[in-house]
Amino acid sequence: MSSADFNIEQSDLEKLNDKDKTELRQFFANEEHRSRIQSQTHELTAICWKKCVTSSTIRSGALDRGEQSCLANCVDRFMDANLATMKHLANMRQQ
Amino acid sequence: MDSDSVKKAIIRQALQATNTANARTLIENINEKCFERCVPKPGSSLSSGEQTCLTQCMEKYMAAWNEVNSNYIRRIQQEIGNQTLSNA
Repeated sequence: MSSADFNIEQSDLEKLNDKDKTELRQFFANEEHRSRIQSQTHELTAICWKKCVTSSTIRSGALDRGEQSCLANCVDRFMDANLATMKHLANMRQQ
Repeated sequence: MDSDSVKKAIIRQALQATNTANARTLIENINEKCFERCVPKPGSSLSSGEQTCLTQCMEKYMAAWNEVNSNYIRRIQQEIGNQTLSNA
C-alpha cells in the first residue's frame, strides 16, 4: 500500500453517513476484542512454550503429541489460576 | 470519495495496522525464544545445525501460537457459556 492511500482527511470523515458510522463503531469494537485476544495469545504462547517445549534441540517444525496436549493444558490451567486469584481477591475484599 | 469508500478505506487501513503489529510481535518473540534455544553458545558464525534448528523452531513456535490461540478462544467461549448459565 502506498503512503498516499494511508491518509484519511478530516473532510473524508465528514462524508460518513450514520449507517456507516454505526458499522465502523461495531468494526472497531470487534477489532479491539480480537486484538486483546491476540496479545493475550502472544503472552500465553511465551509462557507455555517455556513449560511445554523443553527439548534442548528442536528436531521438528511440528508439535509432537506431548507438546500439543501440554500446551492445551497450560492454557486451561493458566486460566484456572487466573480465576482462582480473582476469586480469592474478591474474598479478601469482603473481609 | 463517498461514505462507503471512506468506510472501506478506514477498515482496510485499520486491519493492515493490527495485522502488521501482530506479525511484528510474533516475529520478535520467535527471535527471542529460538535464539535462546538454538544458539546456546554463539560462535563466530551460525552453524548449519543452528540454522536448521532456527527454521524448525520458527515453525514450531507458530504451531504453538495457533494451538494456544484456539485453546484460549475455546476457553473464553466456555467461560461466557458458564456465565450465561449461572445468570439465567
